[in-house]
Amino acid sequence: MKGNIYTLFYAGSLGAVCALLLTAASSFTSTYQQADREADIKRNILNVLGVPYSERASSRELVKIFKENVRQEQLGKLELYRYVPKAGSNKEETIGIAFEGKGLLGPIKGFLALAADMKTICGITIYEQQETPGLGGEIASAGFYERFKGKRIVDKAGNVGITIKVGADKSAVNEVDAISGATMTCDKVEAILSRLAEKIVQEKRNNGR
Amino acid sequence: MADSRAACTTCTSNGLCGGRGIVTLKDGVWANNPLAIQVLGICSALAVTNKLENSLVMGAALIFVCVGSNFFVSLLRKATPHRIRMIAEVAIIATFVILFDQFLKAFYWEMSKQLGPYVGLIITNCIIMGRAEAFALHNPPILSIVDGFANGFGYAVILAIIGFFRELLGSGQVMGFQILTDKWYTPNQLMILAPGAFFALAIIIAVFNAIKDTETWENKK
Repeated sequence: MKGNIYTLFYAGSLGAVCALLLTAASSFTSTYQQADREADIKRNILNVLGVPYSERASSRELVKIFKENVRQEQLGKLELYRYVPKAGSNKEETIGIAFEGKGLLGPIKGFLALAADMKTICGITIYEQQETPGLGGEIASAGFYERFKGKRIVDKAGNVGITIKVGADKSAVNEVDAISGATMTCDKVEAILSRLAEKIVQEKRNNGR
Repeated sequence: MADSRAACTTCTSNGLCGGRGIVTLKDGVWANNPLAIQVLGICSALAVTNKLENSLVMGAALIFVCVGSNFFVSLLRKATPHRIRMIAEVAIIATFVILFDQFLKAFYWEMSKQLGPYVGLIITNCIIMGRAEAFALHNPPILSIVDGFANGFGYAVILAIIGFFRELLGSGQVMGFQILTDKWYTPNQLMILAPGAFFALAIIIAVFNAIKDTETWENKK
């Protein structure tokens, strides 16, 4: 019996000491980690907007580059990240908008970059997803992002939305080729982006732009 | 520290723990190398060695965790109830691993993202648990530190060799600097991918053992 009490006491105090150490470490590093996480999101926005920056830029430098190049605006309920290139640069003005929604296995979060007309897609990036690696996980790959470039969220007839399907018509302005083997994930992405497209069009109409 | 020294029964007048420190050191790095001889902990050795930089950070993580956990397991070895010793070991190991992980996340975010779950998985690395069970439970703290360092270092060296060759052959770079230029060398993508790790590790283990065998053979002669 005495042994049992000692064992319990030992386990309890060892656990307490370890927990205390970890809590201390976590509270000490949390501010740094927060800054890194923010810089990571900023990096994603810079990527999708096509803002040039150095690969080796530190978190603080990234925040600075972001502040210099990207203007945050409000369009109704939508938050816009407008990249206004410096005079003389051959870059074009782009507008980034965040999107998020339900994927097949977890939340999908990312940014969509549109040209100044707010119809043509210049880029897309997905920075958070938990889809099956190798199949649905491929939505977060450069190859998949590339398929969106030049597509439009509103077609010539005025239909809003984007279709992602296998064997998409290459000439159609709002059809994007899906990843084979990842139909369900692609359907989710399609739903998220189409919802975003509708929201953009609606907000534009509401705000008379 | 004075306390732990008093508990050290093998300490003699001719220095720290007599000659055992050197033997322990040589054991971990050479004679009983955790990767090349015992073939433990190869999961992480295969997963993170596609770049030399990653390999070095992983090696440093293992040295840190192995030294820390060995020291505390050894320090508490007489107080730990035998029945729950493994749980106690895992708790100590996990504490050190998470400390390192938090540090990495705070100051080397990019590296932390590249290593992904493998830093956390050090908790289940057989080398660390093995050293705690096989060595730290039966030996004094200072000697356990030496053992932890030796094994961590033995692991780190092999990891660095694999990382060096995989990065060099796979992308023509070393630490991110281009060494082999595109003009006359086509990077072998296989070395970056998982199968390349298996080839590299197998060749290194074979070479390591071949050298070691000649040594013992010559000793016998």
